[in-house]
Amino acid sequence: MGDSIYKVPGGKLLKIKLTPSEGRIRAIVIKGDFFLHPEEALVALEEFLAGKELDEATLAADIQDFLDDAGATLVGASAADIAKTIFMAM
Amino acid sequence: MEEFRFLELCVYNAYENMAVDEAITLAIKERKAPPTLRLYRWRPSAVSIGTFQGMIDEVDLKYCRLNKIDYIRRITGGGAVYHDFEGEVTYSLIVPKGHRLAPPDILKSYRIICGGIIEALKHLKIKSKFRPINDVVTSGKKISGNAQTRRNSCVLQHGTTLLDLDVEVMFSTLKVPKEKISDKMIQDVKKSVTSIREVLGRHVEVNELGNALEAGFSKALKIDLVPGALMAREWSDAQRLMKEKYSTTKWNLSR
Repeated sequence: MGDSIYKVPGGKLLKIKLTPSEGRIRAIVIKGDFFLHPEEALVALEEFLAGKELDEATLAADIQDFLDDAGATLVGASAADIAKTIFMAM
Repeated sequence: MEEFRFLELCVYNAYENMAVDEAITLAIKERKAPPTLRLYRWRPSAVSIGTFQGMIDEVDLKYCRLNKIDYIRRITGGGAVYHDFEGEVTYSLIVPKGHRLAPPDILKSYRIICGGIIEALKHLKIKSKFRPINDVVTSGKKISGNAQTRRNSCVLQHGTTLLDLDVEVMFSTLKVPKEKISDKMIQDVKKSVTSIREVLGRHVEVNELGNALEAGFSKALKIDLVPGALMAREWSDAQRLMKEKYSTTKWNLSR
């Protein structure tokens, strides 16, 4: 299990609690003072990420695809910032 | 000018305050209530955290309980705020989705609505400006923080404007290791956050800020503020939300 904190330059704070398992995300909690509309998309994103391979570039693309599909807007952080913070928690 | 219902400066506890904001969105969704601006204070003083923050990560619950300070999770994102009963006034502006004050571009809508605070501060002879994403600053120091949610076919923006600032109490409510609350840290916060009383060097009354916010929002947003009250249905929804959501451990400690 790992924790990480990343302050996005010019943006908000991301905090990740990661439970990895054999190179994949077993469970993840994403916290911070960012904005995400609609807010319900965050729990859905955490569920979506469970089982994903821990590869920063792939995760960034997957998170962006998820947000696009959900019609969700992240403010104060980007999909790449979340992927980076996940990686920092490993 | 377009008419808005105006719920004038009132005092509620944290659970009532957040429940009333959400209840108004439900009424506007059902087209039972008009666009609304409300001003409010928090008694007892309280800490509100952003909807994605961890309560235990951010708030010193033991200190809050000992000092009778409430703590609550908002429905909006953003950071933790200490709402001192004597030291700030909170507003919320709720409009139906698609309203001219809340364009789809989120940053643009923050800028528009924060225009009301900038005008209110101008009314008090304080020059300020919007600092993206969600702050209003004067001489580079934050004086107002704001947060928005889009739900129930509404855009809700609420925010605080600091009248006074007690950095020591603020730090005590938030989870900063007590031994780390050094003089330097307090000085750093004083360099980045300010309040109306500090800028003006005089004792501005809470009602004076309330009146300035009323005038500021009306002028900047070109709205006619018509004094009104919560409808019975809004109040019963608020009571329900308070009981079933905002006062519960399940909601407040969900992260």
